[in-house]
Amino acid sequence: MRGISLYVHIPFCAARCPYCDFATAPATSALRARYLDALVAEIAREGALLGRPRVRTIYVGGGTPSLLEPDEVGRLARALAEAFTVRPREVTVEANPATLDRARLEAWRAFGVTRLSLGAQSFSGRGLRALGRTHQPDDVAPAVDAGRSVGLRVSLDLIFGWPGQTPAEWRADLGAAISLGVDHLSCYPLELELTREDAVANWPGGGWPTLARWRAATAATQPDDRAIAVLYAMAHRHLARAGYRHYEIANWARPGSRSLHNAVYWRSGEWLGVGAGAHSHLAGARSHQPAALPAYIERVERALGRIADAAGDPAAEEAMLRLRLDTGIDIGRSAARWGTPASARIRGALVTSARRGLIRWSGERATLTPRGRILANEVFVRLLP
Amino acid sequence: MTEAQERIRNFCVIAHVDHGKTTLSDRILETTGTVNARQMRDQMLDNMDLEREKGITIKARAVRMAWTVAGEPYELNLIDTPGHVDFNYEVSRSLAACEGAVLLVDVSQGIEAQTLANAYLAVEQGLEIIPVINKVDLPNVDLDLVREDLRKALGFRDDEILLTSGKSGLGVRELLDAVVARVPAPTGARAAPLRALIFDSHYDQFRGVVAHVRVVDGEVAVGDRIRLFATDKEADLLELGTFAPDPRTRDRLLTGEVGYLATGLKTVQDCRVGDTVTLAIRRALEPLPGYRPAKPMVFAGLYPQSSDDHPALKDALEKLKLNDASLIYEPEVSQALGFGFRCGFLGLLHLEIVQERLDREYGVDIIATAPSVEYRVLTTRGAEVAIDNPAMLPDLTTIEEIREPWMKVTIIVPTQHVGAVMELAQGKRSALAEMTYLDPTRAMLRYEMPLSEVIVDFYDQLKSRSQGYASLDYELEGYRAADVVLLDVLVAGQPVDALSTIVHRERAQHTGRALVSKLRELIPRQQFDVPIQAAIGGKVVARETVKALRKNVIAKCYGGDITRKRKLLEKQKAGKKRMKMVGQVEIPQEAFLAVLRTGEAPS
Ligand SMILES: Nc1nc2c(ncn2[C@@H]2O[C@H](COP(=O)(O)OP(=O)(O)O)[C@@H](O)[C@H]2O)c(=O)[nH]1
Ligand code: SF4
Repeated sequence: MRGISLYVHIPFCAARCPYCDFATAPATSALRARYLDALVAEIAREGALLGRPRVRTIYVGGGTPSLLEPDEVGRLARALAEAFTVRPREVTVEANPATLDRARLEAWRAFGVTRLSLGAQSFSGRGLRALGRTHQPDDVAPAVDAGRSVGLRVSLDLIFGWPGQTPAEWRADLGAAISLGVDHLSCYPLELELTREDAVANWPGGGWPTLARWRAATAATQPDDRAIAVLYAMAHRHLARAGYRHYEIANWARPGSRSLHNAVYWRSGEWLGVGAGAHSHLAGARSHQPAALPAYIERVERALGRIADAAGDPAAEEAMLRLRLDTGIDIGRSAARWGTPASARIRGALVTSARRGLIRWSGERATLTPRGRILANEVFVRLLP
Repeated sequence: MTEAQERIRNFCVIAHVDHGKTTLSDRILETTGTVNARQMRDQMLDNMDLEREKGITIKARAVRMAWTVAGEPYELNLIDTPGHVDFNYEVSRSLAACEGAVLLVDVSQGIEAQTLANAYLAVEQGLEIIPVINKVDLPNVDLDLVREDLRKALGFRDDEILLTSGKSGLGVRELLDAVVARVPAPTGARAAPLRALIFDSHYDQFRGVVAHVRVVDGEVAVGDRIRLFATDKEADLLELGTFAPDPRTRDRLLTGEVGYLATGLKTVQDCRVGDTVTLAIRRALEPLPGYRPAKPMVFAGLYPQSSDDHPALKDALEKLKLNDASLIYEPEVSQALGFGFRCGFLGLLHLEIVQERLDREYGVDIIATAPSVEYRVLTTRGAEVAIDNPAMLPDLTTIEEIREPWMKVTIIVPTQHVGAVMELAQGKRSALAEMTYLDPTRAMLRYEMPLSEVIVDFYDQLKSRSQGYASLDYELEGYRAADVVLLDVLVAGQPVDALSTIVHRERAQHTGRALVSKLRELIPRQQFDVPIQAAIGGKVVARETVKALRKNVIAKCYGGDITRKRKLLEKQKAGKKRMKMVGQVEIPQEAFLAVLRTGEAPS
């Protein structure tokens, strides 16, 4: 067996960031202990059902996994070691600046972490306030240093396109990340989902109307699309000059520092996701767990397993995901897997997009052009049956 | 007159939608023992789909019932009437088949414009009217107010007015007794050659066209060869009978009776509402009065969403026409929309019904252009041409005069909304002909107004400005000279013929601006700037730009949640499907109806 990748979801956060769509819950949640019990139980059950497969990459995401107490991290590590053959090439943990003290960092080192993904978002006080974040600009550098001091690779998340952001401010953020010398960067335009999400149920009193109001007001004052496109192009240019390769729509890496775990998503590999709101792709089928904590816990306690996703169109999905990468898609090689009608459809759609300057062909390989990257949905939407 | 003929009572119920006609009719069927309670439920379920969904009765039919008064048996025929303003002519034919009408008014609503119009029509045709106030079981109702409506509008005396409740059954027996006592028996000469009035017809797969008729003179029997006056068609009667409410076959229908004739004809075009049936060998000299061919008033282009569907659309229209004599269509080509059909309808509701049936029964996805009226254009060379498609308007220099249809419009509205309604009508080039108060709470306004103004969202506006209380009726008044111009729309520099409209000169600029700004909202951003212009005779009067799309990406990868992404994309995709490529620009279906909505107050 080739092995799988593993995603572990830790929903707890110190505060809820108002733009965030992930399955999150307060760190002080009364369900925290039961959640961890459920998580451990799910890990054991899945490990047994899958026949204790080898785990090649692990990604502990959230939420804010760096908030876990050392003993909780240890318990998770033991559960994983029992359920799977854990010999990973990459183990990432997500952290927020100002949460990683010495003891926690040690616990994660013992867990086997090789890579730290830091939710910096911005180095500007104005930016952090506009995004409703609680940490301070000065918290980021120490967190980066702490990770490096114990030999971890470090990735930073930055968000652009917040209300009032100027090109100069964005250049300053990019410059700060570059001068910290991080290995990997994810830069996301601020996207605000205006329909209700399930995870809000985990936040007592933090009702959807308040969030929706914040999002509507923020969306109304965000820079317009044209300005956001300019900021995106700036990231491409500045990071390229600093030696970062724009290898995925929203991800940049120094040579040899691409995320192995995320590559599994983009290449339609096999992964198991455990925890609330986690998604899996195993044996060609996609599935997920509910985002609301009580629903998740109940499912695990009743040993109900994951919820199957409605069947999509595998060819279109695979093409969409691969196109996100700078390596694009080799349509000749994919055709064998999809069959003739599907591959003819995908090829036709890509030819149309090429005519619009969104796709570039080199032989049988199609990749997004720079314009295609920021208009990727225009390409993807045509791939759907 | 024979004894049997003396005992026939033909009547219908005139009522506004929701005033309780269906409920009361069911009670009548039950009370006369025509159907029992269980059958009634079944029947109601059967009819529910069509009638409930449309909120109106599309096809009239008749039910034969027995009722005994003072030991004497009577034959009652209850003839259904369509309940919408677009079907005025059909209503008038149903009325012509009756000697009496029950005028049903919901006590909590009062009389509505259309009901009143139909009641006037019935009075003109010499029908005996029985005024009935319905739903009297409701609490806190003001009977006197409704009595005053009936007194003022139609001159009834209080002691003529009956009270019913379809819900509790109260007053139903009294109503039936009143029908027998007040409605005259049908006159008509038994010995004369057959003359039967067709008040409805529908196509049946097994029997061909079934005509619903009232025998006015003479009689008709199975096997007779019948002849239709207007169309000169002949047919051998395979079957005839009455409905009770399911079909009961009979050997013959006699003078004064109501029933159906199975003609075996292949299309309702051959057997039209209002036409007269006679016998081929013993023909009547004259048809019954009042026939007129269906006359479409509102026109729109219907185009298949995808050109592959053109044969399917043609086929569907052909099939619809089998059953709908008032639908007309002919092929048309639009530069923007390709091959399609210009269709004529009785009114907006008729258009909606056809559109919906095309979608639901035939699964053809269509784009409809904004509805237009028929203009009569007098050319400088003295010819008169009818123009039902704005894009076909001849060159202005060759036009002597353009004339457009005007309507007589009746609106009944609660007094507190009179101001709002008058304001609305003022913006519609209308002239107030008359205003009267039906009672202290309700006013009746009569206007003369161009039809082109009525079809451009007048009804919706009327409803919203009166909080839903105003009711509307209209009929053709005639053609009048119009000072109109052709307003063209250019998208990305290219004229889109399907968006052309004919508008009043004074308002052209305003409409142009409103249309262009509406289109700017509706046309999604493309990968390049799209200018939208409105022009009159080549001169641009309004311009807007749809700014190019700069960003459309879902950047974040939610722990491999592809399903979420796919859903978002599928939503975008569904949007794209409803688009039509015009040149390089994707234009959504709604845009072709935008013309309709330019009257909205700026928000
Ligand atoms: N209270 C009361 N409600 C009634 C009566 N007759 C009908 N309704 C209600 O009025 C509504 C319209 O009735 P319906 O017979 O469908 O009206 P139609 O549209 O005129 O055929 C329905 O919700 C009925 O339940 C009645 O006598 N009393
Ligand atoms: S800390 Fe991260 S996961 Fe938690 S709410 Fe903020 S953005 Fe979302």
